[in-house]
This record gives sequence, structure tokens and C-alpha cells, in this order.
Amino acid sequence: MIQFFHVSKQYVKNQFALNDISLSIEKGEFVFLSGASGAGKSTLMRLIYREETPTKGQILIDSMNINLIKDSQLFRLRRQIGIVFQDFKLLRDRTVYENIAIPLLVRGEKRAVIEKRITNTLNLVGLNHRKRYLTSHISGGEQQRVAIARAIVGNPKILLADEPTGNLDTELSIEILKIFEQINANGITVIIATHDLHLLSIFPKRLLKLDKGVLAADVQREQPQ
Amino acid sequence: MKFFGHAFKSAVENILRNKTINLLCFGIIGFTLLVLGLFQIISFNLNQYVSRLSRQISAIFYFQEKSTQSERQIILELVQQSLLVQKALFISENEAYTRFGREFPDLKYILSEFDQSPFPASIEVQFREHNQSMVQIESFLKDMKKYPSIESIQLNTDWAKRIENLKQLISSVGFFISITLLFISIFVIFNVIKLNILYRQDEIIIFQLVGATNFYIRLPFLLEGLLLGMLGGLLADIFLAFSLKLFSLYGGYLFDVLRGIINLRRIPMAIFRNLILVGSTIGFFSALFSLKRFISQSRRVQNP
Repeated sequence: MIQFFHVSKQYVKNQFALNDISLSIEKGEFVFLSGASGAGKSTLMRLIYREETPTKGQILIDSMNINLIKDSQLFRLRRQIGIVFQDFKLLRDRTVYENIAIPLLVRGEKRAVIEKRITNTLNLVGLNHRKRYLTSHISGGEQQRVAIARAIVGNPKILLADEPTGNLDTELSIEILKIFEQINANGITVIIATHDLHLLSIFPKRLLKLDKGVLAADVQREQPQ
Repeated sequence: MKFFGHAFKSAVENILRNKTINLLCFGIIGFTLLVLGLFQIISFNLNQYVSRLSRQISAIFYFQEKSTQSERQIILELVQQSLLVQKALFISENEAYTRFGREFPDLKYILSEFDQSPFPASIEVQFREHNQSMVQIESFLKDMKKYPSIESIQLNTDWAKRIENLKQLISSVGFFISITLLFISIFVIFNVIKLNILYRQDEIIIFQLVGATNFYIRLPFLLEGLLLGMLGGLLADIFLAFSLKLFSLYGGYLFDVLRGIINLRRIPMAIFRNLILVGSTIGFFSALFSLKRFISQSRRVQNP
């Protein structure tokens, strides 16, 4: 469960990136974060995975105040969260397999475990045939799938995706969103930041709408699973 | 162990990836440590030389003509009890007279003009071998000179003092130059690691976001610094051995002059080992400083 209590974030004086946000996201929920550019979607995401800390307020994940986590212990939080970026953040000089293996390697998993989990994950995102390709040699849609695979291979509790379809056409975007739905069906909390209204209309999930750093709407469009 | 394997592989890849800059860094560390090694060798040899000379240091205590036998005995015992002294031999007036005649037979006629020995009684002192510092010997002689029964003490120490001063000067200059060069090395390694961190910034961010520990992220860079320093030390060793070989082969006259002072065959292996150790240490700590400065897990923005 993710809880925000009166969270504000300021980078510049008198200018709020987020202003007094209070919200709660249940375990296993699928949530869209929407809003125009600069509304605070990415900031809210960064606060969840503690790349940044709030100027005011508290953020709890599974009842743990993440502001209090020491930098040296941050890896414990990050292992609970999978993150997908708009620009994919893949290592271009490594293969699909090597990119997806990173979260497992840093955990010190055995080679056999890594092999098995990557194969399962690649099957889920439909990329097993591209396993040995360099990520620089595959299409944008495939790169995004690799990024998703890397985010979920470590069995996170939460999956954050910041504009995951921003660089993709509508057809591919829908495919990607379906993959997120599948992931969510396995009990993983999914939070997707997007400003694509068309996608929001196709996938009727809970919608948190941000406007100039303020939570303007919280619309429950589907019963939580 | 798997972490170490990954980190070591990553460190080697980093070094090979930026060959030019790492080669430059490697050369600078090698040169720095070579200078350090040369000063260590000079200092070591001068120490050995002073030590060898110290073995030959002797002094002669001349007694006042009117000093009594008991006073002389007291002085002899005092000298013999000193930890600095290896051997002390009392030479009476008559023994000195006889010795002169024996050692300078051509001048024996001079002695015939004297009814009794013209030489004062004395104690000949040989100092122990391990006394490498003249300061202790001088202090001892100064104390002894306070006894009224001693007329004078003869000690030719100018040469030893000069060597001692030279050694101290060389050590000081060597220390200063070495420290300066070591700081340059630290600066160079610090910046090489910084460049590698910046070069691999994307990778580091991804590692942080997927939950890598600080240790996992930093270890390759630490090993890289360590390897650069260690290889720099090794390079310095090779340069040093090569320089000494060249010096002994082509040093010519200069080498003949210095042969008595510099013994290339007796250079301790510790000097070579120390260069690798110093290189590794500065490599490791420079990398550590660089990591502390340029890698952090989160951006904690202060309240505006």
C-alpha cells in the first residue's frame, strides 16, 4: 500500500512541483497518473522510488516511512519497485538478455535462476526471439518491452511506468498497456504516468489527475481487483 | 565471490575502454613512484654508508698530566659502561712512548731527548657498530669532557657529520618531492575515476534503480583505482630496476666514484614491494574520494 500524507515538493521558492498531495493506492491496484507536462507526474513517481525526498509531508509504502530510509539501505526499497522510463534507460552496448539480467545480478542470483526467470519474463513480453540481440538493434516498441521485462524480472510489488508509451504509436501503446494489465493481474501494483487521453479512454482504470502540482481529481473508473 | 568476479571484470573493462587516459594515469603514477623509489634507494644507501663509517668511529680521551691513577680508573670504567662503546683501551704514558717508537722508528731519536714519556696517558675508544647517529656520540663526549681529569678528546667527525647532513637534506627534499608527486597522482586517479563514473553514469543510475547496493556499484571503481595504482607501482619497479641496471652499466666514472656509497647489489626488496603497496593505497583511496564525491543514491533537494 502506498500512502501520501500532505506531500509537497518544491524545487524553487514559491513554486510547487507538488502541493499538499494526500492519496492512497492499495496493493494490486492499477492506477493512471495523468496531467499536462509539468503537472508533477514524474515528481510523484520519483518520490515513490525515493530518487527525491519531499519538501513536506510523509510517504509510506507498506507502512514504512520511506523518507527515513538511509541511503545505504535504499536498495531494499528499490528491490520492491520496478521502474519503466519513457526513454527506456537500457544499456545499448548489451544484449536484451544482459539488460534484463541486471536486477537479478545485483541481487546475487544464481545463473540457473537468472536464466529461468529471464526466459519466463521474455515470454510474458513476447521477446524470447530477441534475447541475444543488442538493444541498439531492436525497435522502439521492443526496447520498451525490454525495459518492462527488466522492471518485472525481480518480482517487484510495485511497477512504476513514467510515460511508457510516449515514444510509441497507438497500436504499440495498446500492446504495451495490455502487458501492464497482465502484470497487474499477477498482483503487482501498477502506476502509469501518461498524458495520452486516448489510452486512458481505452483502459478504464483508476485515474489520479494532477494539475500544476495539485491532485485535481481521483476517479475510480473500475472496481479494484 | 561472484560480486568480486563481476567487479574485477568490470574494472578491467573500464581500464581497457579508456586506454589513452588510463595509460596516461598509469604513466604518471609510475613516474611518481619511480621518484619515490629513487629517493628511497639513495636514502637507504646513505644510511648504509653512514652505518659503515660509524663502525670505524673512534675517539681518544687524553688525561691531564696531573690526573691520579684512581681518577683515570674511574673514567675508564665510565667509558666502558657506556652502551655506545664497544671497546675501551687504557694507554699509559710509557705504553704511548713505546708505541710511538714502534710505529715511527725513523723518529725514535726524538724520544731520546726526553727523560720520560712526552705523551699523555689516554683511553682509546671504539664505538659500537649500530650507532648510526652522531648526535648520541657527540652528547656522550660532551658529558665526558666535563671531567677535570680529561684534558681533551680527539674525534674526527666532520666527514660523518657531512654525510649525516647530506642524508637528512636528501631525505627532506625526497620527502617533499614525493609528497607533491603523490598528491598529483591522487589528483590524477581521482579524475580518471570521475571520468569513468561520468562515462558510466547511465549504468550507475540503472544499477541504483534496480536495487544494487552501494558496495556493488562502487566496488568496480575501487578495484579500478587499486589496479591502476598497483600497476603504476609495478611500472615504477620496472623503471627503477632498469635505471639501476643502466646506471651500473653506463655510470662510468661517476659510478666508480659512487661505488663506495651506492651498493646496487644490496638494494632491499622491500623498496620494490613498498612502491606497489604505496601505489595500490593511493589508487584505492583516490577512487574512494572520487566515489564519495560523485556517486549518491538519491537527490536530496534542500527546501528552497
